[in-house]
Amino acid sequence: MEVVIASSPVDAGIACWDLRSGSEQHRYRTCSSAAHGLLSVAGRFLAASQLRDSPSAASAPIFFWSWDKPQVEVRSFPAEPIGPLASNSEGTYIMGGGLSGSIFLWEVASGKLLKKWRAHYRSVTCLTLSSDESLLISGSEDGSVRVWSLMMMFDDIAMSAGSDQFRFSFSEHALRVMDIVSGHGLCNSIVISSSEDRTCKIWSLSEGKLLRSITFPSIIDAIRMDPGEHVFYAGGRDGKIYIAALNAECNPNSAHGMFIIGTLYDQSKAITCLAFSMDGVTLVSGSEDGFVRVWDTRTKHVTRVLKHAKGPINNVLIVRQPLYHTPISANSKHLNLLLPPPLSKYVDSVDGEVKTKTVIMPQRACHDPQDTRFFSSYVMEKQIKELQKRNTSGAAEMEIDKLRLECKRSVQLVLQWKKLYQDLQSLYASELIDGDQMSDS
Amino acid sequence: MVRPKSASSKKQKHGVDFKKIKRKIGRKLPPPKNATNTQIRSKAIVLPEQSVASEREGLAVNKKGLTLRELMQQTSHHNAKIRRAALTGIKDVLLKHPSELKLHKLAIIEKLRERICDNDRVVRDMLYHLLKSVIFPSSKEEITAPIISLLMAYIFNAMTHMAVDIRLMAFKFFELVALNYPSSFMLYAEKVLDNYVDILRNNQIYLVEKSKLKNALGGLAHCLYLLSNKSQEDDILNNQNQSIAQQRGLYAYKSEVNEDHAGTASFTGKTKALVPVLINSFLESTSNIRTVDVIDAQSFDCMLCTLQCISLAVKIYKIDKPHASVLNGPDVMQNNMNIYLRKLWETFPVSQLFASPEKDDDKYIILDIKIAEIFLHIVNCVNDTNFLSAKLLGFIESLLLVGKHTRHKRLHIEKHMGFLLPFIPKLLSQVTGYWKSRLLEAFTCSFKECKVDSKLFLAYLSAVEELLLVTSNLGLLTYASSCEDFLGYQIAWMREIPIILLNLGNKHPSSTRVALKLLLRVGQSSIPNSPLGIEYDCLQFPLREFYGIKDHAGSIHYGPFMKLPSDCKELAICCFYYFSSLTSDFLESVTYCCLCDDMESLILLRIVEVVQSAYKSGHVPISEYIGFLVTLVARFRVTPERFLVERKQEKVSNRKTFKSLMGAIFGCLSQMGDKSLVLKLLFKNILSEMLLKLPFNNFGGLLRMIIELDTKLSKLLDEEIADLSKSLSRYLVDAASCISEDPDVAHRFNQIPAIDYYVKPCIILFIGSNSLLTYVLQLLDNFIVEDSIVLPSEFCINYGMEISGRIHAVTYILMFMLKYVILHRSLSRNKAAIEHILLNMEKLLESDKHGRSLEETSKLRSGLDQLKTRIHDLLQIRDTNNLAGA
Repeated sequence: MEVVIASSPVDAGIACWDLRSGSEQHRYRTCSSAAHGLLSVAGRFLAASQLRDSPSAASAPIFFWSWDKPQVEVRSFPAEPIGPLASNSEGTYIMGGGLSGSIFLWEVASGKLLKKWRAHYRSVTCLTLSSDESLLISGSEDGSVRVWSLMMMFDDIAMSAGSDQFRFSFSEHALRVMDIVSGHGLCNSIVISSSEDRTCKIWSLSEGKLLRSITFPSIIDAIRMDPGEHVFYAGGRDGKIYIAALNAECNPNSAHGMFIIGTLYDQSKAITCLAFSMDGVTLVSGSEDGFVRVWDTRTKHVTRVLKHAKGPINNVLIVRQPLYHTPISANSKHLNLLLPPPLSKYVDSVDGEVKTKTVIMPQRACHDPQDTRFFSSYVMEKQIKELQKRNTSGAAEMEIDKLRLECKRSVQLVLQWKKLYQDLQSLYASELIDGDQMSDS
Repeated sequence: MVRPKSASSKKQKHGVDFKKIKRKIGRKLPPPKNATNTQIRSKAIVLPEQSVASEREGLAVNKKGLTLRELMQQTSHHNAKIRRAALTGIKDVLLKHPSELKLHKLAIIEKLRERICDNDRVVRDMLYHLLKSVIFPSSKEEITAPIISLLMAYIFNAMTHMAVDIRLMAFKFFELVALNYPSSFMLYAEKVLDNYVDILRNNQIYLVEKSKLKNALGGLAHCLYLLSNKSQEDDILNNQNQSIAQQRGLYAYKSEVNEDHAGTASFTGKTKALVPVLINSFLESTSNIRTVDVIDAQSFDCMLCTLQCISLAVKIYKIDKPHASVLNGPDVMQNNMNIYLRKLWETFPVSQLFASPEKDDDKYIILDIKIAEIFLHIVNCVNDTNFLSAKLLGFIESLLLVGKHTRHKRLHIEKHMGFLLPFIPKLLSQVTGYWKSRLLEAFTCSFKECKVDSKLFLAYLSAVEELLLVTSNLGLLTYASSCEDFLGYQIAWMREIPIILLNLGNKHPSSTRVALKLLLRVGQSSIPNSPLGIEYDCLQFPLREFYGIKDHAGSIHYGPFMKLPSDCKELAICCFYYFSSLTSDFLESVTYCCLCDDMESLILLRIVEVVQSAYKSGHVPISEYIGFLVTLVARFRVTPERFLVERKQEKVSNRKTFKSLMGAIFGCLSQMGDKSLVLKLLFKNILSEMLLKLPFNNFGGLLRMIIELDTKLSKLLDEEIADLSKSLSRYLVDAASCISEDPDVAHRFNQIPAIDYYVKPCIILFIGSNSLLTYVLQLLDNFIVEDSIVLPSEFCINYGMEISGRIHAVTYILMFMLKYVILHRSLSRNKAAIEHILLNMEKLLESDKHGRSLEETSKLRSGLDQLKTRIHDLLQIRDTNNLAGA
């Protein structure tokens, strides 16, 4: 089941609809999210960075919601207001871009701030991961787009050498970068960035150079690529969604400009955010007039209009929810336990680097997103301690699991023995009979 | 032995048996006597048509009527004169018939290449010019690598020829090929470099053939340049191809034309061998000259060329082995090189070698610059500060300061100085202490001195950009400590930028673009509240002049901004997003630009957009922002004042621009927050603008702004509504009297009558706010009687309108109101006021009968009657409705 999630910069909560039926499901309360600040962490829970109450406020929180409760469950207070958020598909890490131009990297399971670095001169406006999740691409108010290798960020020796930490820094945009999307194809993919200077620029991640620059008739606030990377959709401030060619044939003298194939338009105000469904056809757009529109990109018509609130929308997500996520979930208690601790404020320098090493647990047979866990040794140690004490529910559960497994293995063993025994018996029996026959003859 | 001989001779003399017939061989029989003389004699033969010539009519021939084929045969004639003539003929043919070249290019080149080794100097020269001016330019793409290889075979042959002359000429040919077909060069580079080394080792040459040697060195310099720029070259080619590639998909395969043929690895060895040879030759020539005392032009050129080659070779070496140490390597070869470099270093200030340095001062300095460049290359690549001694640094400093004292000298040296400037940023990062500050001082000084139209200007700008950005990059890490001493200079450079922009004016758009880009980069990288950020904010003041300022007399002087091409304008607009707070003065000068008649609509909209996003990120105070928006709407000059011109299509109307401007401003307003609150904030500005008796279009625009925000005027105070009603009723009267004057002319805009377009906003406001309507009706009542509507800030001045005019206008307004059914309810609420107006009109009409003609009176009367009945009907219906409802 795919659900559409939308949030707004004014305090109107997070709305949640079923994409197919259009029925509203939940409304998570108290959320005034920053642009690009709404995130579903591996489908496990929702996270949203909050706007400051007033421009003079020194910090703003990040809230977590679990799927089945409308109230904020976890509040974290980072060192500075966080704008955009990003996480990897397993939900191990959360990246956040700060107002001062720093990027923060937290481990979800422990809430530890693993790394914080100065990335831009001015505030970070958008963050995205490349398709293989090894590169982080950040855009900033100062118009630069920078590509960071996450692995290299932990290379302290290279960092201290003072060389450039980023892999590429593109500074061709003249004004604030509004959105960045990255394409498929590992690190050879393309990246599209849109800016307030009315252009979208396409970059090559492998060569680190500009491939194409497309000028639009209005500022583009949101971009999404279609799954086949034939075209990309660009939501403009004039309320139109422009379709621009990537790999598709384009008409050089099109009415809208070079490379722009067509538009989707439905009398809406400025488009602020876009999301693509898994089916590759359905596009969802959020607009400043408070409506979420669902488009069929084949027919270029609106198929559904969802009303969020009076205020503008600035984030739309499409999240794939596991089927058992009905409002009254059987294992809801269990899930609540899984909600992580708040994100910490500072890099913890006391416990050294030994403990920040991640350990990848062997995957179990069933492909449940809840169970793919990548933990740092710190978390593992905690669990081990818990196990040693044997007094927590998690420990008991693991014990039961272990016993079950053991039981299963024993049963298998018994079966094996049995078979062996039978084989032996038949062998001896036949030999005996043969021997008898031989002696008879 | 003697006898037989004499006997035989006797025999011949005295033939007895046969009578000897004397016949002379080759002589003809005399003609018979009766023969007719067939000889024709004439003074001149005039043939209208000659058979051979007629055959050639369709063919391509030169002046002498020879075809290409014949000419090509003649090129291998043993007589040098005929070969020369043939070459001229070929040139002639090819110029006359360019198609000939396309058809036979292979054959032509195959034939001509034989002449590369020609013994005659003139023939070679002619061939060179033929290739240079005719064949290569006209068939740039058609000559492919295989054809070049045909030529190259002969060129290599010539390079190893016995005659020195031919050898040197061969290098010239090679240079020509490399110039025209750089891509083909890489294939042969190795072999060619070998040949160069060979010829330079031959000591006699520089004694004898200075000019020829110079040619060869020029060729070498070009080759080395190609090698060193190989990577950049590829990029350029890629860029050229990009326009083509853009048509295709992004994922299309790259064309393989730009593929490298070979890596540079193999060339390093060659260049390494080249450097000692070149240095040797340089030293040789200096020692030669020392004896002569004065440098003559040719040997100077030679020396310069040699140095150029050395610096290029060093550069290539650097590119290939960025980390290798040139000087301390264990290699014998490198030691060798080390020694030679030391020798070169000793010659460094070249002038010291000569007795009379005054005479050719410039020449020495140019040579010095070249040597300095070589050592800067070396320092750059090995990070070795050995050579950064006072000798070199002092020279650079004096060079930078050279213009300060003697201007004419600077112009001469400028060309060569351009090579040194790119090193300065790196140099400044390597040097420390005393010399650093001296160099910074000198650089800053010469940067300020530099004229905007000089060739060096762009080099200066790029050096400054690098310096500013390098330190601000450092600023990300260790911002406070390291660049204290830098800061003062950085600020000085930044302060130069507005002056540069003003000096550049609109005559050098490309330089302006670079300067604006620099300004933008500085803005992007300045961290708010850092010293540089504050300094960037301060740039607003001098930059005002770039956009436009008002002088004391009140006239506006537009700066160069208005006349720049639009891409420069866009850059200039982007710059002011990065000011951390836009001052009102600066915003004012931007507004002057916006309101200029020559402003393009796209740029205008971009300005509004950028100011909007600056506001959103908190760079513009709200009061300034509101003032900016309201001023734009109120003061924008819509050029055809009325809609009349629309029909004639004479002038281009900017009404569309106004409309899109309004759209953009509505967008801005809608993002500001709660709309009725915004209206309250805006209202004071709007009202004060309204009092200024604006043109209809602008007044209408302001009204639309109010409507867009809040039609109910819910947050406004009663007094404010009263003030608004005064302006509004005046506007209504003006509109009605002005536009209804000539009802026959169809004032139309999108098929809507003009009056509708102008008055409709009022109607919408009346629908929204009842009290506004009440006020307006009262004012109209007064107006009928007193002929005045007092605006808040004015004294009571009579409108000076005739009674008939007044009656006409008010009738018109009321009729117009009645057209809107939705307004009827509000009107009926103000029944008393309306009836009072009617009564007053009636009275006036009665009292003043003599003032106008009978016809006019009846017209007014009929209008009034019509109005009366309609109002009567309306009120009646309302009353009955009310009764029924009750």
